[in-house]
Amino acid sequence: MIIIGERINGMFKDIAKAIRDKDSAVIQDWARKQEQNGARYLDINVGPGAADPVAAMKWLVEVTQEVTDLPLCLDSTKYDAIEAGLKICKRPAMINSVPAEAPKMERVFSMAAEYGAEVICLAMNEEGIPKDAESRVALAMELVATADAFGVPIDSLYIDPLVLPCNVAQDHGPEVLETLRQIKLISDPPPKTVVGLSNVSQGTKNRELINRTFAVMAMANGLDAAIADACDDELMAAVATARILLNMDIYCDSYIDVFKKG
Amino acid sequence: MGLTGLEIYKHLPKTNCKECGAPTCLAFAMALASGKASLDACPYVSEEAKAALDSAAAPPIKLVKLGAGEHQLELGDETELFRHDKRFFHPTGVAVLISDTEDAAAKASAFDELEFDRVGLHYVTDVVAVKCDSGDGAKFKAAVEAVAAKTAKAMILLCEDPALLEGALNAVADRKPLLYAATADNYEKMVELAKAKGCPLAVRGKNLDELAELVEKIVALGYKELVLDSGARDTSKVLADLTQIRRLAVRKRFRPFGYPTIAFATKEDPLEEVVQAGVYLSKYASIVVLKAAKKEQLLPLLTWRQNLFTDPQKPIAVEPKLYAVGEVNENSPVYCTTNFSLTYFIVEGEVENSRIPSYILSVDTGGISVLTAYADNKFTGEIIAKAMKDADLDSKVKHRKIVIPGYVAVLKGALEEASGWEVMVGPREASGIPKFAKENFA
Amino acid sequence: MAVEILKEKYRSKVGEVVLGATKEQGGTRSHTITVGGESALPFLHFEGAIPNRPVIALEIYDMVPEDWHPCLEKYYGDVYADPAAWAKKCVDEYGADLVQVRLRSADPDVKDSSPEDCAATVKKVLEAVGVPLIVIGCGKAEKDNLIYPVVAEAAAGENLLLGVAELENYKAITSACMAHQHNIIAQSPIDINICKQLNILIAEMSTAMAGRIVIDPTIAALGYGIEYTYSIMERARIGALQGDKMLAMPMIGNIGHEVWRTKEANTSTEEAPGWGEQEERAILWEATTAMAYLQAGMDILVMRHPRAAALIRKNIDELMQDNSY
Ligand code: SF4
Repeated sequence: MIIIGERINGMFKDIAKAIRDKDSAVIQDWARKQEQNGARYLDINVGPGAADPVAAMKWLVEVTQEVTDLPLCLDSTKYDAIEAGLKICKRPAMINSVPAEAPKMERVFSMAAEYGAEVICLAMNEEGIPKDAESRVALAMELVATADAFGVPIDSLYIDPLVLPCNVAQDHGPEVLETLRQIKLISDPPPKTVVGLSNVSQGTKNRELINRTFAVMAMANGLDAAIADACDDELMAAVATARILLNMDIYCDSYIDVFKKG
Repeated sequence: MGLTGLEIYKHLPKTNCKECGAPTCLAFAMALASGKASLDACPYVSEEAKAALDSAAAPPIKLVKLGAGEHQLELGDETELFRHDKRFFHPTGVAVLISDTEDAAAKASAFDELEFDRVGLHYVTDVVAVKCDSGDGAKFKAAVEAVAAKTAKAMILLCEDPALLEGALNAVADRKPLLYAATADNYEKMVELAKAKGCPLAVRGKNLDELAELVEKIVALGYKELVLDSGARDTSKVLADLTQIRRLAVRKRFRPFGYPTIAFATKEDPLEEVVQAGVYLSKYASIVVLKAAKKEQLLPLLTWRQNLFTDPQKPIAVEPKLYAVGEVNENSPVYCTTNFSLTYFIVEGEVENSRIPSYILSVDTGGISVLTAYADNKFTGEIIAKAMKDADLDSKVKHRKIVIPGYVAVLKGALEEASGWEVMVGPREASGIPKFAKENFA
Repeated sequence: MAVEILKEKYRSKVGEVVLGATKEQGGTRSHTITVGGESALPFLHFEGAIPNRPVIALEIYDMVPEDWHPCLEKYYGDVYADPAAWAKKCVDEYGADLVQVRLRSADPDVKDSSPEDCAATVKKVLEAVGVPLIVIGCGKAEKDNLIYPVVAEAAAGENLLLGVAELENYKAITSACMAHQHNIIAQSPIDINICKQLNILIAEMSTAMAGRIVIDPTIAALGYGIEYTYSIMERARIGALQGDKMLAMPMIGNIGHEVWRTKEANTSTEEAPGWGEQEERAILWEATTAMAYLQAGMDILVMRHPRAAALIRKNIDELMQDNSY
């Protein structure tokens, strides 16, 4: 499993302020820090408060690319902002995200095909997030079949089964894990899977413990990526260890450092 | 892996009529892929979809049998691309080629003697291939009969004229030889012949595309005891084709390639031919055919086959007993180690390097290495003492000294007590043995 | 029917290591040799680049070998006593891409030659041939640690491949290679975890050295555990292609050395009539061992018998032919 660093997001006050002030140092600092700690993609989200999301996205992409070669994950509900970012990304990027709703899928999958982008697909539709695994998988299937029809390679899709906070939706936990497993049965090669890891601990105490425990459980069920705090050392160590235990990396004594250095 | 949801979905009517109980065809496809529904629940599914589902349950590569009786060979039924992922199951058949224009009987008798003993194992050259180069049915038949009379091993008959082949085949049909080969030009007749005699049939295309096409035609005629040849003869191309056939069969369940394969070494120089055959043996050929037929040429190839097809999960063992290295006498030093073959052979090599004739006592640890065996209590003072007794060491040497591996120095006390011998602690690594020997026994 | 060819998409590739240095580059070699750089499994040209062909080194000693099989005498007997002439013969007559000098005489149990003597031998060999050199110690760590700095300094600028570093003893040789810019052989005992760890430790001493490592997985001869090393090499190479940078180095193996210790190579025709003629058997024992390791991804094959080397050179020629679809 790989980590998509979540920190360049306008929801964080320092990032929102940096966007307003055009203070590239703050953004670049976070980009470097996340990369050094093992992030393989960087999520870029202008946040809810940005005055001009398109311009803000372009600026964030530009300043981030000045200091890192990591691919970017363009995170917005405004597809114009994503498209503006895709145009200037130096490496194939990831679109974050699209639900199983026909008009949105059309827009996003044609964009993905055009720019060779990967896509995070949400297992939800107009009716919201289903509870049971079967319905989540059915939505995943719909996303995959539609992407396939648009010519987007299935292994460039990341299905997000949608994780809910464990203090309010405890019963979703096992369903999400089961969904992760079943998504691998959709096709060959199968789509990849992703979760927004910090959702699981939203509003709880022990956030970091819950995050990393869920991360390793999800990995055991086939999780490929998580949008998460790459600067959480305990989380990164747990992920590196789970990769060893799942025989995804070859063991050596310095395996945690190796994982971080990629 | 069975069929995926998407593949199943492609075979469904996509009407979302809900008669199967699932809300959509998509949901039904997923339920099927995860084994929670049965195809019968959809009344509208096509015959084609049913056939596709059935074949997904079959192994990726069919098991095909060559020959009859005690020399029968099982080919194919492999599941891996790399031996470390699990293991390779059915060792490549090594076939020696005899032409009907040479002295077939003489070469066949020589072939029959190509059996070897090394490190307690018996290696056999298992297949003889007789080729019709003369274009003369009577000559071919005579050659096939001569070979059959000299060896009982499995046979391949190489002749692409079904009429000529039939004559020779009638003489040895009960040996169930592999018929080589069905091509685009002769496949109908060849299939008839193979079916009638119950023999496996090799299929040769001009390339992978034509091969796949031909296999489908032959399967449509109702015959599946097949062995594949992509037609390539250049080393690099054969390697690529054999790799693709194996990969597509195992990873993509591509049915036309779900059969064993045959490859031909083509070099004129027998040494080059062995190396070329080795490449094909390494990378997936189920049978390799070569002309080289001398002992020194086949032994290396058969050894590589034996090594490649061992089970990587299962440590290989040498027979636990007392081995003599060099011209030993009653004063020769005695080393002990486990019967894990790699450990044993390394120790043996270094003892040889020491140039001091010695005994090595290989203790039965179930074929595991020194440290693992020690940790598992399979290499203890008592066990070693018992092995010494079983090997009758007391009568083999006059002295009462035994060398144990440096890693298990802690066993010294226990072994001295159990055996009454003086225990010397050897070097930790076998590479230290020559020096150790020089210092202590020279 | 068009078959859909299955090509692996790998994330990464094996690093390239350049051996030797020409005059312009500060050395005296007539040419350099680049190894590694593969972005596909061995010889699968259809799915990636194999930019550099595997190379063959012939091995020589810095003294008359005490234990080489008599059948090798007709090839090397006249030059055994003169490492420079021996190296020259390997290159000129037997077409070696590289020469590996084993400083056997330095072994305290053999002749205990001084580091300075070793350096002088290496210098002489460098003068005699234009190909890049591999130099390995006598195998006794304590002594080798004295030799490395002296040899590394004497051959400064030549961009040697110097060996061997081991988990228990890698600092002296790494420092010597760092100081005088040579490449390093990192040897692990048929253990992929130690292989990776050793590469990390060397890279930690100097990031520049990370790009100068050649992995020696410790090989076994055909019939003596070859399948263990074979599988470790396959795993390491797959790991490298999938992005494990600490395994993404070219690989070397001392094939001649291992093969010529075996019974099958040495036992005479008379002693083992069931095994066929001794010399041809030995040649094929060595060639078959090399053939297998080529299929597992070996980049530098250190061999002994000229005829075995010739067979493998032909095999490499053929395997390097494009097989794209
Ligand atoms: S019964 Fe068949 S056609 Fe109808 S919804 Fe189910 S799968 Fe689709």
